[in-house]
Amino acid sequence: MIEALTKDAPSASRGGPDGPRKLLRPVLASLAVLGLLAWSVRALGAAPGGRNLAFALGIGTILGIVLQRARFCFYCHARDHVEGGDPRGLLAILLAMAVGILGMLLVISGWLPDPQGGRLPPEAHIGPVSWALVAAGLAFGLGMVVSGSCISAHWYRLGEGSPTSPFALIGAAGGFLLGFNTWNPLYSATIAESRVLWLPQKLGYVGAILAQLALILLIAALIWRPRKEAPPPPARSLGEAARRLIEGRWPAWVGGLIVGAIAAVVILRLRPLGVTAALGSGARGLGDAWGWIPERLDGLDGFAGCVTVITEALWRTPNALLVAGIVGGAFAAALASGQFAPKLPTGTQVFRGLTGGLLLGWGAMTGLGCTIGNTLSGVMAGAVSGWVFTFAMVFAIWAGLRLGLGTGGRRRASA
Amino acid sequence: MTSTTWRRAAFAALALTGLASVSPAALVAGAADASGALVTTEWLERNLGAPNLRVIEVSVDPGVYEKGHVPGAVNFSWHADLNDHVRRDVVSQADFETLLSRAGVTPETTIVLYGDNNNWFAAWGAWVFDLYGVEDVKLLDGGRKKWEAEGRILDNRTPVYEATGFKVTDPDPSLRARLADVLEVAEGRAEDKLVDIRSNDEFTGKIFAPPGAAELAVRAGHVPGAANVPWVKAVNEDGTFKSAEALRELYAEAGIDGSKPIITYCRIGERSSHTWFALTKILGYDARNYDGSWTEYGNSVGVPISNPSGTIWASK
Repeated sequence: MIEALTKDAPSASRGGPDGPRKLLRPVLASLAVLGLLAWSVRALGAAPGGRNLAFALGIGTILGIVLQRARFCFYCHARDHVEGGDPRGLLAILLAMAVGILGMLLVISGWLPDPQGGRLPPEAHIGPVSWALVAAGLAFGLGMVVSGSCISAHWYRLGEGSPTSPFALIGAAGGFLLGFNTWNPLYSATIAESRVLWLPQKLGYVGAILAQLALILLIAALIWRPRKEAPPPPARSLGEAARRLIEGRWPAWVGGLIVGAIAAVVILRLRPLGVTAALGSGARGLGDAWGWIPERLDGLDGFAGCVTVITEALWRTPNALLVAGIVGGAFAAALASGQFAPKLPTGTQVFRGLTGGLLLGWGAMTGLGCTIGNTLSGVMAGAVSGWVFTFAMVFAIWAGLRLGLGTGGRRRASA
Repeated sequence: MTSTTWRRAAFAALALTGLASVSPAALVAGAADASGALVTTEWLERNLGAPNLRVIEVSVDPGVYEKGHVPGAVNFSWHADLNDHVRRDVVSQADFETLLSRAGVTPETTIVLYGDNNNWFAAWGAWVFDLYGVEDVKLLDGGRKKWEAEGRILDNRTPVYEATGFKVTDPDPSLRARLADVLEVAEGRAEDKLVDIRSNDEFTGKIFAPPGAAELAVRAGHVPGAANVPWVKAVNEDGTFKSAEALRELYAEAGIDGSKPIITYCRIGERSSHTWFALTKILGYDARNYDGSWTEYGNSVGVPISNPSGTIWASK
């Protein structure tokens, strides 16, 4: 379903009866949003202890722009392959993983020269591998099918004015509350005694890199399909090139490359990339205040991953600002490209958002991360948990689509 | 050879001579501002790279060191490196020797400790170093907080030093108070002065643990007779210790003047090391740290407790 680069842009830009879409006003509006974000980054950076917050907002903004422009959406990429036989999106995700594995393990090998000494790199998303993690991946994948995307994509779609995403995110907060309530039984039943498996601990850094890259190559070979359509002709003028950059969809691999690089580099300044910690912390804070979750969550805060600690100033956490940056950056990018199209939600969209979100939230809480926290940050760190979550999730997406649970049709994913 | 080349060569030679004359090794030996237990951020920056200097970070939060540390500093984890993994105790003598040897420490090394949260755990590290008789250990005044606030350089590469075979002494029991020692004071059989460095709400028994920390003791309050001087009163806004004069006055107001031996304690024994450091290393008082602290004392059966707030644990 992915159209060629130029075809993906709003049809008006290709020159209809009214001529090409005027770019001046949307671009100015977009620049105003970016200016506000840049000013916020500066102001945060100048405040005491605000450098990491400023960095989080800045890198979030860049991510938001890239996610929106390249439509880097795990579910849409998977659906394009399952339904349309187009592998480019999934290959882009594999590229992000490969780039990130090389980058992140390069950094981590400096932090922890001896991976076999029994320690784990600090904060890396390496979680316990148990059947609860498999259940979490399955629920998350199903939540993606029902709600139309994963949590990171719902954040960037919030910036596009999606009618479903607000409900999916509310649903996800509810899913977190549900997850906190099922955590203690799951912890006693399986998580407490499951192992935290880190590939470099078994194989060394070189072995872990080679094994994971080999696996990625194998998957890439399995999903590869011949290209059906010719690539778009090169731009004939600077103006056309600029227009493509602003309006047209960026090639999927560009998104994969940038997301992989950011996910690897970000650990030099912040915790590994994840987009659910702030959402989960907010839900946990509310649940705690209202007595909706157990007072004690066994062992939860001892695990790495998208951790959900209750904090008094949630908005002043790097994760909240990262997410704010993603929404803001996507909003700016969508304004410029004419893809900011707020709509009133239909009953189906509300229902799909809430139920899908519930599954997403439960999966992200129980699995200690989502597509970003597990599939990217986990796999890149060499965590077996990242792979297990991902395989379970992909299976659920495939099964969900086969069972006809998807949003159906071949509509634009941002609709 | 052209004149430009000559000039360049002369300039390079001059620059080299200049560098050699301010070589860090010379500074470590002769620096006046490093004679005490504290070094300034400025002194440390000037002396980075000196062969006999080893900078060690001991921070509370994991992952802080990795995102940027004082160039050349090694990282000691307070819970994984400086504590025993199974028993409630500091690291064993053998493990501590391995740790220091891996960091390339020799008997000639000057060690500078620093960390986050106003040097809480770095000061606790200094206590562990002292316990094992490691000499020439200093604390970076102001710690990470001041270093960062001053915009000084940070590095995130992990240095590797040539391992040594460093030996430490048996732990010195005179630096460590045990439950029995504290009980003697509480029951009036010893003259030591107790300093409780926790917040006033913990001291008076209004709360069982500071916000964000688990309630690890089933009784609230303090050891009878203890004076409450929250640790934070010993530091300035920028994280540095107050002057010796101000510290002497602060503790004198609470009846601690150094005429009697002192025992410091807190909740788990780490923050109290910060006050222990001020009392022993800056004021030169005779002080011991009670690392069992309130989590041991407040859970002990039959010991006297003062709880002005009268809170009852687990009551509805």
